[in-house]
Amino acid sequence: MTVDERADAREGQSGERQRPFRPSPAGWVARAVVLAGVAWLVLVFPLSRPATELVDFTTAVCYAIVALSLNVLVGYVGQISLGHQAFVGIGAFTSAYLMTVHGHSFWVGVVGAAAVGGAQALVLGGVSLRVRGLYFALVTLSYGLVAEQNIFQIQELTGGGAGRPAPKPDWFDTEWRYYFLCLAFLALVLYVDWRLMRSKSGRALLAVRENPRVAATLGIDVRLATLFAFVLSGTFAGLAGALIASNDTFVSPNVWNFNLALVFVIMTVVGGLRSRTGLVIGGALFALLPYLIEQIPGLDDLLADIPAPRDLTPELAPLVLGPLLLLLNLTVLPGGIGQQLRPFVRWLGGRRFDPRDRGLKEVPISDARA
Amino acid sequence: MGLLAARRDLLIGLAITAALVVTLLATDEDAALVIGVTTGSAYGLVALGLVLVYKSSGVFNFAQGEFGTVALYVLYLLDFEVGYWWAFAGALVAAGLFGFVTERLVVRPLFDAPRVTLLVATAGVALLAIAVEIWFGSAQGKPIAKAFERVDRVTVLGVQVSDQRLWLIATVVVLAVLLGLFFTRTNLGLAIIAASQEPTATELVGISVRRLSAFTWVLAALLGGLAALIAVPDGGSFGPGIMTSTYLIPAFTGAVLGGMTSLPGAFLGGVLVGIIQSVATSAPLFEDIPGTPSTLVVFVVLLAVLVVRPQGLLGKRA
Repeated sequence: MTVDERADAREGQSGERQRPFRPSPAGWVARAVVLAGVAWLVLVFPLSRPATELVDFTTAVCYAIVALSLNVLVGYVGQISLGHQAFVGIGAFTSAYLMTVHGHSFWVGVVGAAAVGGAQALVLGGVSLRVRGLYFALVTLSYGLVAEQNIFQIQELTGGGAGRPAPKPDWFDTEWRYYFLCLAFLALVLYVDWRLMRSKSGRALLAVRENPRVAATLGIDVRLATLFAFVLSGTFAGLAGALIASNDTFVSPNVWNFNLALVFVIMTVVGGLRSRTGLVIGGALFALLPYLIEQIPGLDDLLADIPAPRDLTPELAPLVLGPLLLLLNLTVLPGGIGQQLRPFVRWLGGRRFDPRDRGLKEVPISDARA
Repeated sequence: MGLLAARRDLLIGLAITAALVVTLLATDEDAALVIGVTTGSAYGLVALGLVLVYKSSGVFNFAQGEFGTVALYVLYLLDFEVGYWWAFAGALVAAGLFGFVTERLVVRPLFDAPRVTLLVATAGVALLAIAVEIWFGSAQGKPIAKAFERVDRVTVLGVQVSDQRLWLIATVVVLAVLLGLFFTRTNLGLAIIAASQEPTATELVGISVRRLSAFTWVLAALLGGLAALIAVPDGGSFGPGIMTSTYLIPAFTGAVLGGMTSLPGAFLGGVLVGIIQSVATSAPLFEDIPGTPSTLVVFVVLLAVLVVRPQGLLGKRA
């Protein structure tokens, strides 16, 4: 019996019936309709769109994986990485390098990128995880700069300033097929994340975030648990990088900068830490902001009307709106999109619709004690 | 006793610096030394602001660099309208205002939030500032005027030190001393230290911790503004996010090197990082590192300090 069922059962005891809440047939139909709508939006709608838009959609899927990757570190163990663009970027280059220089297949590239992502995190975390909180954030930020100015300048790996081409895999060579391949990878990451958080190790991670000292007294190796989360996060990030590389069919060394690292952190926090639904939506939202601004009628006119020397272009908009959303998020709605959506998600899962249900009583953004 | 211990740490720091200087002089890296000290002074100035905020709010302020870049934009715009020094003053006011607004709208609502949340928020402020700079200006660099044009007045060890750089060094030294006195000799300074160490007790003796917080953020923003306004024009041009991309990380490394809580330490750490960077750029030892060797060297120094001596050279163990 889970906590929710117990709560439902208690509710029942105070009323007349003993058994937990079950939706009526009409309720089930309503839920099925909403689920079908979401499935249509994700699975069927893209089929009718042109290839250029599919690239945007696939990027959204990859960003969702990046958000889930950062969440393992920030949401579960409460350490923050301000250099995550390095992990994603090195993943992208590893995959491109394995494919174009060594002639391996896409699958080798993906596995290689994930492995390199994890190995990097293992080395960096192994050395630096003696420090936590603010200092660890500083180390990752500095590492991101090293990636930008040293690692991405290695001629052999990245082709210097020229960048490297990254072909799509054999059967998935159209934009549509590749989109579904990335969706499958997202599902895999979601599954791993879900299984992890259902396990003893997952609860150990959460304990470390809540209070490292208490966790240590319970026999959890705090440093090892944090390192494990960092390695898993790096692995996911490397995987996302490989997928992004083949989606763009080309990797340039110039896009993996500090701004991107901040956008990654922002979309994770705005999406909502520890909420898989929120994280996927947050990642996708930030990847699709330029697309949405172009598609939603009147929105780009509205942005152009803002009195400024230059129009707020769809390319620039995420950079301006992102931090605004983040600051609003932090000061007003600390749980992010995930927390706001929680009643709907729970309703879809066959529970009562409870607009006051916001999960835990207090959902701090990141509870690391520095 | 505490005073003696502090002195001993300061002596260790000075000894390391002296050893480094002697080594450099012995290995004919004179130029690297001079360039390093001047660049390092700018890092030291940014680091002073970082340490100030860290002492009072306990947070790593990632917006510190952008306080400066915003000031640069104001200087650039006002320089066409009024005289240089009026524009300079206006730019400082803008930086202070930015610091004040950041404190009011971002830091204060997150007063009781975990420190890492606040860190993400300051990083958000930095990104917002960069985005607005790109939006209102452009992604390209702009030329910026110097306060002092002459470059050949002073020559140290065969390297010309421009007047602009002399002004920078003088400003940093004077500010480090003044701030040091402020935090040890004045009631306001002591109140800020007290608020950072024991907020509840500070409130109990009748000091408004929140008002102090606004004051320190404005002060830190002014320091960030000064650093940008004096150091950047020496290069001749600036662009969006220049303080964050080129000054913030070395300044942080310097501040950590100095122990994150010591103002003289921050200054000394900044200078050390400047020298290390400058040596890494010119020394043949680091030639084989791809890209910008100094970035990697600074990163390694940061890691080494954090792993071997997390309290920094001059800091006290928490």
